[in-house]
Amino acid sequence: MYDIKLTDVTYSYGDNTVLRGLSMAVDSGEFIAVVGPNGAGKSTMLKLVAGLLRPDCGQVTVAGRTADEARAAGDIGYIPQNFARNIADFPATVAEIVALGLVSGRKKNISRDAARHIVAHMLAMVDLEEYRDRRVDELSGGQQQRVMVARALAGNPRLLLLDEPTSGVDFDTSTKIYGLLGDLNKSLGITVVTVSHDIDKVTRWASRVACINKGLCFLGDCAEFRRVHAREPHLLYYSG
Amino acid sequence: MDFLSYDFMQRAMAAGLVTAVVCPLIGMFVVVRRQALIGDGLGHIAFAGVMGGYLLGVYPTAAAAVVTMLGAGAIEFIRRRHAHHADTALAIMFYTGIALAVIFSSMARTPGTNLLGVLFGSILTVTVQDLGLIAVCGLVVAATVVALFKRLVLVSFDEEIAHVAGINTAFVSILISVLTALVVVVGMRVVGILLVSALMVVPVAAAHLLRRGFLATMALAVAFSVLAVAGGLTLSFYLDIAPGGTIVMTAVAVYLAVLLAAGRGRMTGAARSCSGAAVPAGDKQGDQ
Repeated sequence: MYDIKLTDVTYSYGDNTVLRGLSMAVDSGEFIAVVGPNGAGKSTMLKLVAGLLRPDCGQVTVAGRTADEARAAGDIGYIPQNFARNIADFPATVAEIVALGLVSGRKKNISRDAARHIVAHMLAMVDLEEYRDRRVDELSGGQQQRVMVARALAGNPRLLLLDEPTSGVDFDTSTKIYGLLGDLNKSLGITVVTVSHDIDKVTRWASRVACINKGLCFLGDCAEFRRVHAREPHLLYYSG
Repeated sequence: MDFLSYDFMQRAMAAGLVTAVVCPLIGMFVVVRRQALIGDGLGHIAFAGVMGGYLLGVYPTAAAAVVTMLGAGAIEFIRRRHAHHADTALAIMFYTGIALAVIFSSMARTPGTNLLGVLFGSILTVTVQDLGLIAVCGLVVAATVVALFKRLVLVSFDEEIAHVAGINTAFVSILISVLTALVVVVGMRVVGILLVSALMVVPVAAAHLLRRGFLATMALAVAFSVLAVAGGLTLSFYLDIAPGGTIVMTAVAVYLAVLLAAGRGRMTGAARSCSGAAVPAGDKQGDQ
């Protein structure tokens, strides 16, 4: 069953068309790495799936529903690219941020005890139990990213969308973040779609790669993508 | 506490304490959304409402409440539709507010003492009718913050994340603006429209210095605000000086005291770390 389906999607910012006739589908439980050059429409594609933008034409469905219906049902966990800007000086503990994942969606009506249990479980999953009562702005970039993953998963969504989760973090930390996403994808069976510039690392964990440049240039397995990318990188970034 | 044996002081203290609680409650959201000066802007619009009330012969505080809430809605509309030019558009709106206030006051031949009372507060002249309106507005603000607390926090943290989580972010943002307008009206009688923003921002800024979680910061901000209002009103009575200004200066003194204490605490902690004292394992950050 498809978790995400984009059919002939076009989107423009004013006169600038960033996606033209994009069609692709993501199966339930897949880990998809979305790659492509700057300005290719990767983040736009993610925002269309998240329901933050509406396509000019074409259709976006999430688990057979519109993106708006999926949002309302709590199907989508989303981590934007620039969350660090919001975390800076935001007066909240790690546990408070993770608990924000329970504000709406499937877990919104649970008891206080159940919420506390879920927060503890999520923090254990991302290995941050000991930081529960620390201010989130005192953590490193990698730890903050793990807090955001815990928050996004707390509401038990069907799919997790991440926009460049390793921007601004060092080599080892980015390896750990993709490792965490790969583990969560396997252990929870959650569909993961992440935009990334870090092709070498993300393709170690992803099940398939979608290369986007206005439209879809490539959709296939990681080994094949690495071969084509190493041999003729310009072909993948050809804007058709 | 013999000053509380006077009826007017009892009403003043009651109005002050309601204001002390609700100002930081909404001030927390205003500050974390980086809109600390919106209270000042809404104060200008409230000024037009009060003077319009005098002109039309209606209860000025109620007129201010209506006009300020409409203004808050308009500000949020401009912020969402014209984000790139929002500050210019808002500045024009605020100037319009104060210009209308001046025109209305000249048309209504408002006495200078009334004008000063609106600008700098007149807590000692709070009537039973004023106290009733302040209590109702305060109750509405406090009940809304409690009922929608987590949604307000999530929208203040990140509007995109809140939207994807299924929250109607436009509604919540307008709600925060409207609640801010109500708080301006509540605080108008206590410290005046020129200083009401201080009670929304200064106690919250002091609480921020202690670097706690959201709920703890909010509770500390309310405590600092209550201390400033009760202390400032008491001081003003015995020193026979303006209560509005004294309340705000007490809040500033609390802020400075917390700033000194927090700075000393950080220096002590740093010195302990440098001298090699044991640091709990949980304080070491794995992948920094």
